Amino acid sequence: MTLRTYIVRRLLLLIPTFFLITIIIFTLIRLAPGDPITIMFASSRKSVSPEIIDMVKKELGLDQPIPIQYLIWVSKLLRGDLGYSYVSNQPTVEMIGLRIGRTVELMLLAEVFSVTLAIVMGVISAVKHHSQIDAACSFGALIGYSVPSFWIGLMLLLVFSLWLGWLPSFGVQTRGVTFSLLGLWFDHLKHLILPVSVLVIGYIAYLFRMVRSSMLEVLRQDYIMTARAKGLKERIVIYKHALRNALLPVVTYEGYSLGFLLGGAAIVESIFSWPGLGKFEVDLALRRDYPPLMGLNMVIAVMVLLGNLCADIAYAIVDPRIRYD
Amino acid sequence: MVNSLGVELKEGTEGFSEPSKAGRLYITWRKLKKSRLALVGGVIVVLSVAIAVLAPIIAPYDPRQMFYGEEMLPPSRKFWFGTDGGGRDVFSWVVWGARVSLYVGFAATLIELLIGCGIGMIAGYFGGIIDEILMRLTDVINTLPTLMLLILAVSMFQTRSIHITTLVMAFLGWPFLARVVRSEFLSLRESTFVEAARSMGATNWRIILYHILPNTFSTIIVLATIDIPSYIFWESALTFLGFGDPLSPSWGILIDRGTSYLKIAWWISAFPGLALFLTSLGFNLFGDGLRDALDVKTSV
Repeated sequence: MTLRTYIVRRLLLLIPTFFLITIIIFTLIRLAPGDPITIMFASSRKSVSPEIIDMVKKELGLDQPIPIQYLIWVSKLLRGDLGYSYVSNQPTVEMIGLRIGRTVELMLLAEVFSVTLAIVMGVISAVKHHSQIDAACSFGALIGYSVPSFWIGLMLLLVFSLWLGWLPSFGVQTRGVTFSLLGLWFDHLKHLILPVSVLVIGYIAYLFRMVRSSMLEVLRQDYIMTARAKGLKERIVIYKHALRNALLPVVTYEGYSLGFLLGGAAIVESIFSWPGLGKFEVDLALRRDYPPLMGLNMVIAVMVLLGNLCADIAYAIVDPRIRYD
Repeated sequence: MVNSLGVELKEGTEGFSEPSKAGRLYITWRKLKKSRLALVGGVIVVLSVAIAVLAPIIAPYDPRQMFYGEEMLPPSRKFWFGTDGGGRDVFSWVVWGARVSLYVGFAATLIELLIGCGIGMIAGYFGGIIDEILMRLTDVINTLPTLMLLILAVSMFQTRSIHITTLVMAFLGWPFLARVVRSEFLSLRESTFVEAARSMGATNWRIILYHILPNTFSTIIVLATIDIPSYIFWESALTFLGFGDPLSPSWGILIDRGTSYLKIAWWISAFPGLALFLTSLGFNLFGDGLRDALDVKTSV
């Protein structure tokens, strides 16, 4: 099979996966005891007359049978209509558009820092296997994935912004202060440090373990011995021969990491009041504002699906040995 | 063999030197004993279970009891971990919180085991359409960010209860285990001992339950040990974000409650978080050691 047919097949496979996701998200909402209307009015203290309930039901299409409701929802989804907020009546697409940039910004930075650090630490640990530095890195990774992200976020906030006062504790920009253009940029950078650090701490632990074990595996291979035997410098053996192959599984993981980071974003954005998709999800769920909540989850699912697709294709390109099935 | 922290473990030899005692459990124990970190993890796990079980004896006060006029006191001899904004003893809350967390961790894992093993067994042994559906389903659930799905699912319930959270987590958490069990069954069903059992007239269910399943126990045990802390983490994260059971004294609630007083009373959030951290560290250390001792691969 050629690369092109592989890509086409992967794209076609996206279609059933996409529909399965719509079914899961739809049933999660519909399987819940109590219909959306009751939940919608549950927070308002005043009793709502049955006429109003009927009217709202009709307006939202909730008087239709469930399968029809699903079809209506999906057909709207495919036309890019993600529904309107129960609360503010704003279109979901617009609300997501306002926030997506903030989340992407956080994730890109976290990704860049984690990958760089994890590769450096992983290679050093694998090359100096059993050394003290290896033990220290491994222990650090163990702590990194055992420590609850929301707690470490709070503790960093406590130390660096409340006690030391070095970094701002919330938002993307300091309010009420006028800055020069450069100052504005620098101020934003300061707001980024803590949220990105928390994401990096959780993520680097997984990446590091992966780089280390994959590097250890590769270093045991015969071709590494050959490379050394023919007198290549150790640096070339490690960086040109070993690392390139050791990074293959890491490349695949990169694509899948999107889901991991987006989950982390919900926590980090809530702690640091970062106006991105993660905090949006939490706010919507707390308000029980279902149409945008369903829409947002679909957007996130599609983002992750595309990320996985890119990872698979990248993997197929960098590793010609892969069987395309 | 080398464990994740670079501690050298001598493979097999140790256990087989005394053939009379070389049961599987014994060999595992010998290997586990070699890794100091795994033992530390084991001690932490045992301690946290003991604290959870003995909570009423250990905790000096009722965690919900409010001491008026003694709000937000720093750690002292009377209140070891200080008091929160309502004058509740943080230490007692942390002790009782161990109960909630371990209940969630063990209960969710148990349900996950039932569903995951059941489906994984069937898919791996019989294959066909069940297998196909299962594979798609695991793909999808592994695709969606766990926390987002959990938030979506938990917010659907009008009542917030610890049991609902546990159930929801288990129902969203089984696919990975099912996949691992499936792949083990897929390879084991072709082995000679299965063929032998079949030729003697054993039924499919007999083969699945008595012949193949016992061979997957080490994998299942390792996965379960690693899953317990992640369920504990998800529950506290959900609670922290405001989706938890307001009535059960969980660590997440206390951490959340402390956020508003972080500057003036850091101990409210710090101690329950530390407890959460130590518990998951313990389970992870122990799980890692167990994985190395049983020589299990935990990826599909």
